[in-house]
Amino acid sequence: MLEGNLAIIGYGLSAIGPGVGIGLIFAAYVSGVARQPEVRGVLQTIAILGFVLCEQLAIFGIALAFVFS
Amino acid sequence: MGAIDNAADVLAAAETGEGGFWEDAYPVIPHPGELIVGIISFAILYFLYKKYVVPRLEAMLAERQRTIEGGIERAEAMQAEAKASLEQYRAQLAEARNEAAQIRDQARAEGQQILEEMRAQAQEESARIVARGGEQIAAARQQVINELRGQIGALAVDLAGRVVGESLADDARRNGTVDRFLDQLDGMSGSSAVPVPEGTR
Amino acid sequence: MTTVVSAAEEFVPPSAPDFWQPLVGEGAFAITRSMIVMVLVTIGLAVVMMLVTRRLAVVPGRGQFRLEGVYGLVRNSIGRDIIGTDHFRPYVPLLFTLFTLILLNNLMGIIPPVQFPTMSRIGFPLALALGVYVVYLVAGVRRRGLGGFLKNLVPSGLPFWVVPVVFVLELVTFLVTRPVTLTLRLFGNMFAGHILLLLFALGGEYLLLNGEGLLKLVSIPAFLMFILFSAFEILIAFLQAYVFILLASVYIAEVYADDH
Repeated sequence: MLEGNLAIIGYGLSAIGPGVGIGLIFAAYVSGVARQPEVRGVLQTIAILGFVLCEQLAIFGIALAFVFS
Repeated sequence: MGAIDNAADVLAAAETGEGGFWEDAYPVIPHPGELIVGIISFAILYFLYKKYVVPRLEAMLAERQRTIEGGIERAEAMQAEAKASLEQYRAQLAEARNEAAQIRDQARAEGQQILEEMRAQAQEESARIVARGGEQIAAARQQVINELRGQIGALAVDLAGRVVGESLADDARRNGTVDRFLDQLDGMSGSSAVPVPEGTR
Repeated sequence: MTTVVSAAEEFVPPSAPDFWQPLVGEGAFAITRSMIVMVLVTIGLAVVMMLVTRRLAVVPGRGQFRLEGVYGLVRNSIGRDIIGTDHFRPYVPLLFTLFTLILLNNLMGIIPPVQFPTMSRIGFPLALALGVYVVYLVAGVRRRGLGGFLKNLVPSGLPFWVVPVVFVLELVTFLVTRPVTLTLRLFGNMFAGHILLLLFALGGEYLLLNGEGLLKLVSIPAFLMFILFSAFEILIAFLQAYVFILLASVYIAEVYADDH
């Protein structure tokens, strides 16, 4: 009785990659800050930049999911 | 008339159809009206910010920077001033100490001087008293000697006259002999060790 | 869900048409709810900014202090640190406009009387991204000239047969991918966030009204999640505004980077 759309499954699949990527980015950020707390500001900017570039794929996914739904 | 109604109906239908299109449109297709409103709003706000808001903020930040630097300078000046006044105070203190020491020295010197003066005065006084005593003694002695000399002369002549049996009283030369003899005695027993040569008298 | 709940009406999950809310008129130039929000936000920002900056003191008051906090974030930690000390000044108004406009519009998705994120209609993020696009294209062409600008797209020291491929890729990145991703990121975050909020709110309401027995209780966690995600949306609103100007300044900074 489930109703839905294949495009949404596609979005779910497309979210896997960015999910892993964002996890890796912030893991690296956390260990970097733990190792050298004084460079936190620089690392924060870089981490958010990486997060954003990674998240972009998931955003493409959701946009395309709505396009093809 | 009928044709116009028909056209209006068609237009209305087209409009509702278009509205339906926008309702069912993909959300990634921008709505032209919203795009235009977005651009205009953004442009107006950007203009305002560029023209007024950011220059004002920048001016304020620059002024704050200046004020902070001025404050630092003022604090430095104040510190220098405090240092200078401390130095001055110290100098004054040293000067006052110097002065006090000087005054003390002077006072001591004056006291010394007064003491010296007093001592000198006392010595002078005592010397004078001693001298006067000596003079008096000398005068008394002289008097005694003078008296004795006369009496001794007379006595000796008297005595000698009696012994010899003849009066020598009138003989001045004999008198002189006695005197010379006494003088010789005087010279031998007096303070002056130099014997008075006989011929000078 | 429909099998479990013998409901009088079917549950309709929130979807894209929920964001189409024309107030006046129809079609391509209808005045929509998001337009009204956008205009109100713009007017409000303009008025507040003009009032607060009309009399700026060296020792700030409360309003000025907050404004300065936001301005300092945009100016120093993004503009100066990313574009560089020498070139960031002309771009500060752009970055500050983008940041305040996006932040306030995003927050409108949560603030109760409005509760509609303007940026979930793609027209608005597209307008902002077009502004950034024009600025960094103009800055790039102005700095190196058109030829130098195109030449600078390809890093030097590549084998000659790779150059055309890289050139096309970089050109597409520069002209298409960047504005599109800039637009889509903001739009997608706001859209998805709002749909999520709608889902919790509508689902909770539906369960409360049409659920049977214990199912009514399930609406409680749904509403709790709604509150939780509203708070999360505040973070997202700030982060997206930050990210938008971060990327804008990265694109602008690339113009001034001497190496590709």
